[in-house]
Formats: sequence, C-alpha cells, structure tokens
Amino acid sequence: MTALSLGAPPAVDLDRLLAGIDTLAAQRPVAAQVVAVANAEDASARTLAGVLAADVALAGRVMKLANSAYFGMSGRATTLQFAVTVVGFTAVRTMATVALTCLDDESQLPEGFWESTTAVALAASALAPRFGARSQDALCLGLLSQVGVALLHADDQAGYRELAAAHRPFAARRAAEVGRYGISALRLSAVALGQWGFPPAMVAPLTAVDDPTSADGALLRVAFEVGARCTDPEHTPEPVQRLGRGLLGEEGVAAVLEQVREAADDLRRAVVGD
Amino acid sequence: MPASPTAAGPAGSVSPEVLAAVFSVAAGDEGPALLVAETVGDTPRVTWASEGAVRLLGSDAEDVRGLPVADLVPTLGAGELAVLLRRERASRLALPVRTAGGLLDAVVRSAPAPSGTAWTLTVVPGDGAADRVSRATADAAERRFATLTERSPIPTLLSEQGMRLAHVNDAFCRLAGRPAGDLLGTGWTRTVHADDLGAVVEVVAAALQGEDGEVRARLVRADGAERATVLRFGHVFTPGVGSGFLGTIEDVTDRLAFEARLAHQASHDPLTGLPNRTLLDQHLTTRFSAGGRLACLFLDLDDFKVVNDSLGHEAGDELLVEVAGRLRATVRPGDLVTRFGGDEFVVVCEDVDEADAAALAERIVAALAVPVHLAGVRFRPHASVGVTVQAPEHADAADLVRDCDIAMYQAKAGGKGRVRVLDRSGRAEARDKLRLVADLRDAIERRAITLHYQPIVLAADGSLEAVEALARWTHPERGPISPEVFVGLAEESGLVGPLGLLVLDEACRQVVAWDRQLGAAAPPRVNVNVSALQLDGGLQAEVVSALRRHGLAPARLSIEITESALMTDPAAARGVLQELRDLGVAVAIDDFGTGYSSLAYLRHLPVDCLKVDRSFVAELAEGHPQIATAVIALARSLGLSTVAEGVATPAQAAALTGLGATYLQGFSLAVPMDGAATAAWAGAR
Repeated sequence: MTALSLGAPPAVDLDRLLAGIDTLAAQRPVAAQVVAVANAEDASARTLAGVLAADVALAGRVMKLANSAYFGMSGRATTLQFAVTVVGFTAVRTMATVALTCLDDESQLPEGFWESTTAVALAASALAPRFGARSQDALCLGLLSQVGVALLHADDQAGYRELAAAHRPFAARRAAEVGRYGISALRLSAVALGQWGFPPAMVAPLTAVDDPTSADGALLRVAFEVGARCTDPEHTPEPVQRLGRGLLGEEGVAAVLEQVREAADDLRRAVVGD
Repeated sequence: MPASPTAAGPAGSVSPEVLAAVFSVAAGDEGPALLVAETVGDTPRVTWASEGAVRLLGSDAEDVRGLPVADLVPTLGAGELAVLLRRERASRLALPVRTAGGLLDAVVRSAPAPSGTAWTLTVVPGDGAADRVSRATADAAERRFATLTERSPIPTLLSEQGMRLAHVNDAFCRLAGRPAGDLLGTGWTRTVHADDLGAVVEVVAAALQGEDGEVRARLVRADGAERATVLRFGHVFTPGVGSGFLGTIEDVTDRLAFEARLAHQASHDPLTGLPNRTLLDQHLTTRFSAGGRLACLFLDLDDFKVVNDSLGHEAGDELLVEVAGRLRATVRPGDLVTRFGGDEFVVVCEDVDEADAAALAERIVAALAVPVHLAGVRFRPHASVGVTVQAPEHADAADLVRDCDIAMYQAKAGGKGRVRVLDRSGRAEARDKLRLVADLRDAIERRAITLHYQPIVLAADGSLEAVEALARWTHPERGPISPEVFVGLAEESGLVGPLGLLVLDEACRQVVAWDRQLGAAAPPRVNVNVSALQLDGGLQAEVVSALRRHGLAPARLSIEITESALMTDPAAARGVLQELRDLGVAVAIDDFGTGYSSLAYLRHLPVDCLKVDRSFVAELAEGHPQIATAVIALARSLGLSTVAEGVATPAQAAALTGLGATYLQGFSLAVPMDGAATAAWAGAR
C-alpha cells in the first residue's frame, strides 16, 4: 500500500484496524484494567495505585510524570498513590492508554511522533484557559490526539509516511487521510478513545476540529499549529488568529512556545519512559 | 471495553416462545429504540425499526425504513460509517442522531449479524447530554467559585492538578504583581522565593493527600520586591478527577515589619541605635559556653555628668551618639557594641585572649579621645574601660559582665581614660567583696547589725548630754568588720538606705528602753549618723516614722551628717536638714573642718552643732591648737554648740574646755558600749 492518490479507495480496512484496537487490551491487561478502574465513578487514588502497581513500567512512568516540571512537584511525589493524586485520574488513564496502544514503542511510530505530540499536548494545556477548557483535560487529549496517526502508521507505514510528508499542513493532512483511509487520524483517535470509555466531552474536540464555530475545535487547531511551529522547522506558519477564532493573537504565541519548549522533553520522557 | 452479545449468543439456547416474547417486548412501544440496518447495494440503510426507535426519531415508521444510516448519524463522514458498522465486532459510539426535532446526543451501539451485512443498532439518548450537564454543573461551580473569589480581597488559588493552578483571583495577581496568565499552571511557583519553594511544595503535597496546612514563604513580585506571606492550603476532592487544593495567602509583610520594629525597639537604644542591655544578655547567653573565649569591655564615659550639667542634655545625647559611632567604627567585624545604660557601653568579642581584648580597649580609648565639638565647645571624651576575658571561674554570662563592670570601677578609681584588665587576683578580690556585700545584706535583714553608744558629756560639768549611736557588725566567720569597711560597702552596693533605717530604728528603740529602765538618768538624746546618700528627700519621713513607732520626742534625736556629705549637694542637703529642724530634731555637722565648706554657706545651714574632727583635737597634744580654736570660735560666733571628738586624755578635755567647747566625746571620757553597758554607765553617775 505505497501508492498514494487522492480519490483512491481507502487504503486500510477500517474494520480490521478497529478490531486491532480491541485486541490490544489483551496484550497489556494491567493497562486495560487501569483504564477501566479510572473510568469508574468511585475511583480512588488508592485503588488506582493498587492496580497500577502491577505494571512496573507503567507505574514508573506515572511517577515520572508526577515529578515532571509540568506538575511542579519537584520530586516530592515519592509514592505511587500520591503520584496518582498529583497527576489525576485522567492523566493516569491517558498513560495507561498510551501503554495499551503501544505508543510507548517509538520504533513503531512515525518519526518525531512524541516530540510533536507532547508539543501539541503542552500547547493545548497552556492555551486551554483562554478557550474555556481545563488544562489538565487538554493535556491528556493532546497526548492521545495522535493515537489515530499511530494506528494508521502501524497499518500502512510507508503509505502514511509518504502522506504525511506530502501534506504537512494540519488541515491538508486530515483531508489526505480521509481520502486515503476514509477517516482522518484525528477522527480515528476519537473513535478509539470513545471505545475505551473516555468521556464524550473530553473526546468531542477531536471531532470538532473542522467545525469553525467550535471553541474546542479552535483550541486543538491552535495547539497543532503551535506544536508544528515548535517541532517542525519546515512548517509554514498559519495565522493563529484565524485558527483560534480570535482567542489568541500572534503576540501571545511566543509565551506559549516558551512554555512548551520548557516542559516538552520532560513530559516526553515521562510518557515514553526514556 | 464495551462488549455486546452477538445475535447468535444466548438466543441459541432459548426456545422460540421465549424469543417471540422478548422480541414482542423489545419491538413494542415501551421497548428500547432498536433499528436494523442492512447493506442495500453499497449503502447501509435502516430496514427495520422498533416502535421505541420510531418514537425516539419522531418520524413515521415508513420514513425510517430505507433511511441511509449515514443520514441517521450525520456527523460520521462517508468513510467513517465503518467505525459504527463493524463486520465482526460490536461497537459503541457517542454521537448525535438525527431526529425530527434535530440532532440528539446519544450513544449508539451496533451489533453485527453473522452475515456481516446487517447490524442491530440500539440508540440510547441522553448520554452526551448528561455528560454535558455534568460538565456544565462543574463549570458553573467553578464559575461561582471564580466569581466569589475574584473580587475577594484575600489572595486565593484553586488548583488543577499537583502544583498546577486552574484559577487565581485578582487579589493574588495584585500581590504577585503579575497577570493571571503568568500564574496559572505552575507559573505561580516562579513567584515563590527559591529558598521557600521546597517548603511550599511540601505543604501542597500534604494538602493533596488530605491534610490542611500552612507555610510561611516569601513571594517575589514582578518588580523584584519581596512580600512575606503565609500560605494556607486546604484539601479539595473532585470525584472522577482527583485531589486538588484551595489556597489562601495572607500578606504579613507589614505585620512582620511592625513586629520587627517593635522587637528592634525592645532590644535597641533609640538614641544611639545600639543594641541595649536586653540584647546584650541574649547575645551573651547564646554564645557563652564552658571553655569559651568571650571577652567583655565595659566603658563608662568620664565627666559625662559635667557635659550634661554644663552643656545641656542635648549635648550629652550628642556625645553619646558620637561615642556610639566611634565604638562601631573601632571594634572588629562581628564584635557587639551595646549601650548598657546612661553613659555606659559594653563591647563583646569572641575568640580573643586577654592581650587582644586589652589592645581593643586601648584602641577604643584612643578613638574616643579625639576631640568633639559639643554646643560649640571643644570637648575631649574619655572613658574608663574594664576588660574581662572568659575564665573557668565564670559560671555564666552574667559573671562576665559583672567582672568587667568591676574592672571598669577599678579603672575609674585609677584615674580617667584608663584601661583595667581584671586578672585572677583582681577577680578574687572582687568576688570576696561581693560575698561580703551579700553577707552584709543578710545581716541587715536579720538585724544582726548592732549599735554601740558613746557618751557625749557637757564640758562644763561632765554631765551626760547625749550618746552617739555607732553601728557594729561582727561577721560570723570574719569577726568584727570595721565600720569604715561595711558602711563604704553599703554605700557602693545600695544598702546604705536599709542600714540607715536599721540604725535609726534601733537607736530610737534603745532610748525608749533606757527611759523605762533609768528614768531621768537615761541619756537625754541619741545622735544618729546619716550618709550623703540618705539625703534624697525621704529622710524626714523615715525619721517621723521611727519617732512615731517608738513614741519618742523629736528633741531626743540628733542627726549627724558629715561636712563632705553636706557639700555633695548643698541645696538639697539644706532642704532636708530644714525639714528635720522643723520637726524639732537637732542637726550636727560631723568631722567639721575636714571638708571644704564655704563658711558663708555654713551661716545659712540649719544646724545646731559642729563636731570638731578628732584630728584637730589630736593636734592639741602636738602644740597646734589653732584649728580647734578657730572651729570652736566660729561655732560660737554663729550661735552653734560644739562637740570635740576623739578626746583621748584628761589634758585634752581640759584644754578643749578651756577653748570653749560645749561638749566632749572620747575614750578618756567613755568608750562606745552596747545598750546594757551604756545603761549601767549612765545609771552609775
């Protein structure tokens, strides 16, 4: 599946791809259990930490995340339960999802996947208050926003690489993804997250990214733009004023970029487990 | 992971009757919204709808049938239907469903038939709406909180996760001097002083785990100014999200500054700005340890009283400020300069030996000796400096100060502008003196000071005129202590008042006792000596009190005061003596001729008698009667009586009588005796 042409029939069997998502849970049972427990209404840090402890690698990443610059705890998170308290249940579920989808194996991901993803996530988090969203939810959503990319890439490595290289702007790439696979990576991320029980409100921005009237969509568009400016030297900047429905002007970008650059490596190491 | 039973699952094990019953309920009006979709051509379409589904969609059953599934879920793109209609697995998507009334948030479950071309769709409305409501409720709560705190004057923080903030109010922004955008997330931690951040994080960590707590920390404003604050954190738990904290910040900068000012005022001298005695005590107490190498220098300005009296108190204050400045400039870094009180200063040094301390004392004396202009007058300050270096005998810091005080007095006694280092023998001597003072205080309290009485007789006929009360102290270990020693000690150590009272009281009591015992033969009067230090205005009241206590007539008492004491403050002395005279108490000037009293002044003093000093009486035997003669003649010319003291021989008595002395007192007439012996002596006459 290396040939790429717009208008060609979907290059992947979406049904098979989605079926693959389900089977991932069996490969990382603890991560799956963490996702399930974190979804429960009566979840507590103690129960979540209890489940998490069975997956040493995942537990280590949660500890690392809790002590990352993003949460500002300066190494004070010394127990797993407290680390869960610090990062919050959504972040724990996000980390488990990353593990569940093997996103922690960078060899299977497009080049620069996590550099780009952490930049998008941190940008979304930094910008969230301006767009009326919660920073913490925005961070998690940003971290998981490219699950679809990983899935498409896993199924069609060369094809996706070619597609991504040929369509660098965010919107153009989404269109190309729909053209090639019948679904955009972002939409695929939404489907996967919905399937794993992430609350619709958290997933909604992924489906609203093409809705020019949506604040959630605007946040994600701007986050991707900032992420690209941060990590892609060949990126041609798009005006954030338009992308963000006027909620962010160019004059505000520099501060966000600085915040992103400050915390990006730290966050990436925590998520991927370097 | 959501999982639905396939159509071939449990249905395979039940009877057709059961299936029919279930289908009937499911398809009925009360049943769920069920749809069956099948691929017709290339398009998945609804081929069957339950009554519940028809009701939910708000259309006719006929309109629903044949409806493309893509029209039912319009937010799914053309290629994305496969996400919902999967061939081998059930799926569950939260997405809007088109109804006659518009888009409806719903959860759509899809279960494929074994053929892979038909699906059963279950539409459950409201999940998204409920989620939105829940989210909206949480948002509203947050907005209420924001509104509540936004205008609050109390700086307030609301966490998001960990140290991250979701909300700060205007008051905190003002306190930090930064916009909210700079403070959200972990931005606010940059305002916490780097040295205090660890403690803040500790308390936040505790708050996240359920414990409320507070911590004192400095906040650094955008303009670099530091504010002292107390941050209080409380635990906040949001179900489904986790733990957070609510923080309030109290700016205590002004309060701390005020407290610091108060503390400074309490521990510093307002005139010179130097630490005061309180701080000196604290400083020494915290640094004193056995085997330490502390040294204390005690300075007392010479002639400070002269400056105050002659140039005024402002000049005196100016001098103190000048001296304080010179001391600061002369000591080593780390040495403490304090104003002990009045014109006294104490310098404390650490890690020095005796030579170092003495050298510093000499430097100080030299620095102080540079002339200064006070009220237009050139003045050369001098100080007497006592130095003590810590020794094994020093049990505590107070010992050190006391010793350097003693050394200072020794220096002053040696002349002005001198330095005296208190060495081992000096310290032993001083301590011995201190012990004796303590014993004297004890003796006065126990009335162990006794009185002897020496008769004073009329020169003309030898009749008993009066007795002079003389204090005696027999130390339990040291034996009799000379009056010159213990009266001097009493004057130095503030015991002269209690000692004088004791003598006055006992003398009055004794006269009354003699009256009862001897009747007319009792001594007509008792002479009691008072010190210059007793001429402070309280003497008259004490005399009145003693006379009343014992029922003694004022005429039975005579107060003797030395000429030198009179001259210490002649104006004050005159007032006190006049009060006594007004009472009817007689007044005599003791040791007359040894001081430097102005004869003109003497004329105005309210006295009855001059006592000719024993040294002039003794000169009679050496052929030098001039002074005794002059004193007696002077008294006579002023209308005063005279008592010649120290009459040691009958020849002297005869000579003095010949010179016109009114009364005689001395060993040749009678030695000082205790009360009983005096009674016997008087009774035998």
